[in-house]
Amino acid sequence: MEKTSPIMTLRSVAKTFGNGTVALRGVDLDIVQGKVHGLLGANGAGKSTLIKILSGAFKASGGTISWRGQPVSWDSPKAANDMGVATIHQHIPLVPTLSVLENVFLGSTGAWRLASVSRKRFDELCERVRYWPDPDALAGDLSIGERQMVSILQALGTGADLIVMDEPTASLATDERELVYATVRQLSKVENKAILFVSHFLDEVMALTDQVTVLRDGEAVLRAETSTLDETRLAEAIVGKQIVELERAAEARIGPSAASGTPRLELRGLSSPDKLMPVSLSVAKGEVIGVAGLLGSGRSELIHAIFGADKDAVGDVLLDGQTLARSTAASVRAGIGLVPEDRMGQGLVPEFEIWRNLTLPALQGVSAFNMLPQPERERERGEEAIRMLSIKASSPDILVRELSGGNAQKVTIAKWMFSDVKLFLLDEPTAGIDIGAKTDILRLIRKLAGEGKTVIIVSSEFEELLAVADRILVMRDGKCIAERNVHETSEHELLLLAGGQGPKGQAVNGSGKAAGH
Amino acid sequence: MTMASDTQMTQTQSRASQTATAKPTNWKRIFGLREMGVYYALLLLIFVLTMITTYLGQENYLSIQNLTNVIYQSSLTSIMAVAMTVILITGNFDLSVASVAALAAAVLVGNADAMGFWPAVALAMTVAMALGLLNGSIVQFVGINAFIVTLGTMTAVRGLVLIYTDGRSLSVKDPGVIAQMKAFESGKNDVFLLVVAAGIVCLALGIGSVIKSRSSGKSLRPAAVGTVIGGVILLLLALASGGELVVRTPVVYMGIFTAVVWFVLSFTMVGRRIYAVGGNSEAARLSGINVLRYKLMAFVLCSGAAGFAGVLFASRLRSINPAGLTGAELTVIAAAILGGTSLFGGAGSVIKTLAGALLLFSLTNGFNILNLGANWQGLIEGIVVVVAAAIYTVGNQGRAKGH
Repeated sequence: MEKTSPIMTLRSVAKTFGNGTVALRGVDLDIVQGKVHGLLGANGAGKSTLIKILSGAFKASGGTISWRGQPVSWDSPKAANDMGVATIHQHIPLVPTLSVLENVFLGSTGAWRLASVSRKRFDELCERVRYWPDPDALAGDLSIGERQMVSILQALGTGADLIVMDEPTASLATDERELVYATVRQLSKVENKAILFVSHFLDEVMALTDQVTVLRDGEAVLRAETSTLDETRLAEAIVGKQIVELERAAEARIGPSAASGTPRLELRGLSSPDKLMPVSLSVAKGEVIGVAGLLGSGRSELIHAIFGADKDAVGDVLLDGQTLARSTAASVRAGIGLVPEDRMGQGLVPEFEIWRNLTLPALQGVSAFNMLPQPERERERGEEAIRMLSIKASSPDILVRELSGGNAQKVTIAKWMFSDVKLFLLDEPTAGIDIGAKTDILRLIRKLAGEGKTVIIVSSEFEELLAVADRILVMRDGKCIAERNVHETSEHELLLLAGGQGPKGQAVNGSGKAAGH
Repeated sequence: MTMASDTQMTQTQSRASQTATAKPTNWKRIFGLREMGVYYALLLLIFVLTMITTYLGQENYLSIQNLTNVIYQSSLTSIMAVAMTVILITGNFDLSVASVAALAAAVLVGNADAMGFWPAVALAMTVAMALGLLNGSIVQFVGINAFIVTLGTMTAVRGLVLIYTDGRSLSVKDPGVIAQMKAFESGKNDVFLLVVAAGIVCLALGIGSVIKSRSSGKSLRPAAVGTVIGGVILLLLALASGGELVVRTPVVYMGIFTAVVWFVLSFTMVGRRIYAVGGNSEAARLSGINVLRYKLMAFVLCSGAAGFAGVLFASRLRSINPAGLTGAELTVIAAAILGGTSLFGGAGSVIKTLAGALLLFSLTNGFNILNLGANWQGLIEGIVVVVAAAIYTVGNQGRAKGH
């Protein structure tokens, strides 16, 4: 049953965006029926662009795509779908107000909303993946994992032969992941579907896929059978030589001058109902604190509580010995800067230019008479930020919504670089950005610490925390469950702690509840 | 604290001139329909009306007399539309303006005889602004969509007007109050010097800004070009008036109010934050901006402007019919939309809103002059609003694709 000729072939597929950004520089890819093909790459390597080209959302600007041996050119997701390519996007776009059944057959063309024939087809689909959701539940009421499964059913319902899955397990709990893995295996081995599986998790790529393509900077740097590889090989291919620089950045660090006067930041019983158990903490000047935790562990809630952005939070936050009022305005005035997790949703005003975003928290610094902002000075500041943080933008007049993830992230950080910010709160500052920008940001954090600034950084990538932090807090279920000196811990230990298997019997309440939704 | 030292600044400038060669002034964008559409539409309409009146041998449409008349007719709506633009920029919405204006008018007329003109004005304004605070508080603290809240208060406040007036027209009797109202509303002012001065200031600022960006090699800003054109138009207007430009007092109020709001929005920190609050309120909040305060202030401003319009309305008629100003909120919102204000917040310009209001009132005026009958008016106005919205939407998409 195994076909040797691939169902889909990409030859030198390239994509250049209108603003000059080159996302893909000629990628070759062969996807074979009955196999799971892993697609890996750092954020910004071009994975999302490639997926969007496959699914018809973008048009390639160069190269050829062949589907079952015929060259094709899709100009809409519908066209791709009709040919037999279904894509499950990372941010699962179900219609929350429709039922599971209606979502699964959203793209079908029948005239009636509740045809009994679709119920029958629904049962068949469930039988095929061995997963039976309630067809009448509203999609909006489902957990993320359930929604992921419904999207898979949706993709199957179109009768696709190639299913593209964009990080299907990114925000799932362990048992939900297992379900997705089982489904993927079922579809490829039993139903002979071709699957393009995009992931960040090396272990699942090793366990699940048959072939792997690794993208870096818009090029395929590794193409191999999974059985010939190991995780280290994959990691090297993904990050390239950059990881060396990261390690060097880690070595170059000098510990903070501990025990010097009043702590920069002191938390006394800071908590928030249902979100954050009381946390007490003291951080010195020039210290970098890493917060390790999975999604939903309370890590962002901690950051928002410190910043005064959480209105329900109680407890005291002291900066340089002064108790802060609980509002974002008071925190900014006192010298705290927050780089939030969702940079377009929370960090930037998308329709503002780079310069207007940059000066938003510290308009006084560029204003005449403390009230009239001077656009010329603001643009100069924009030019300076572009140079200082190597933001890839031709001028500060570019709108931030036109920037790529990493560059937009640099703007959210640069917002806080021009006023007297003493404490930086960084929530996943390196998520979704390429390794070059990532290294830049981690270096910047060490530089800030060297200047006596205090930094609290949240990250899901624990090796990053190990590279940049002095102390690491581990959070789970809204609790701060452990504190480790960076020299005395390892990525392995952090993973175990954050994942709920504290090795030394610490504060494990045995609820076993996975990271919340 | 700025990080730019002097040497860095010179570097910055040299860099800037390099980038400028790569990115020349986008004239197409500055003069495109998206930026200038409402002005084109206004000019086109005036041109067409002038042609028709000339052809028909009627009195010249383009006479100063007629133009100032149109501006006078639009002044109440313009005042409300300017404030509406601010509330739309903050991402909210206010349907209750006309009802609030009617209530303010009723309060003024109902109390002026007993307590005197100015105290009654103060009372009317207080009532109006309190209603704005109520609207804003319900929207911000309870978290109901502003459209729904103000749809409710629009009806409820109109009900209050009916209760207050008991369904009858009220009018002012006291001759002293009538005189004060006349002085407040119907005075005539020669604004020739004011217009000349404003024209010269705009021209000077605009040309200064153009020269500055030329010499530093940067691309021209739409704002600079706009200021130059605005200055030229003001000076032309002054020239055409032949030394005497008499307008009614509400036009002066409108001019001053618009100028103040325009200045605040364009040049102050408050204005920048208003745009940021509307552009992304969460990002604004996390940048340390008191989002709640700005959004509440916009509601209070909008109702305050409505109250002021109501005071002018009552002073003009010196009586109030409980159904007065019904439906005016739709004209107000239409003016803001014609001016390109985004209903999603974060974008809008009060000058363009003003042009939008003038466009709508020129249409009405044109219908009257040409004796076309009021039957057609609604249809044409509706089409104009939808076409304008279509141009802005399509223009936006074109821009997005271009990048």
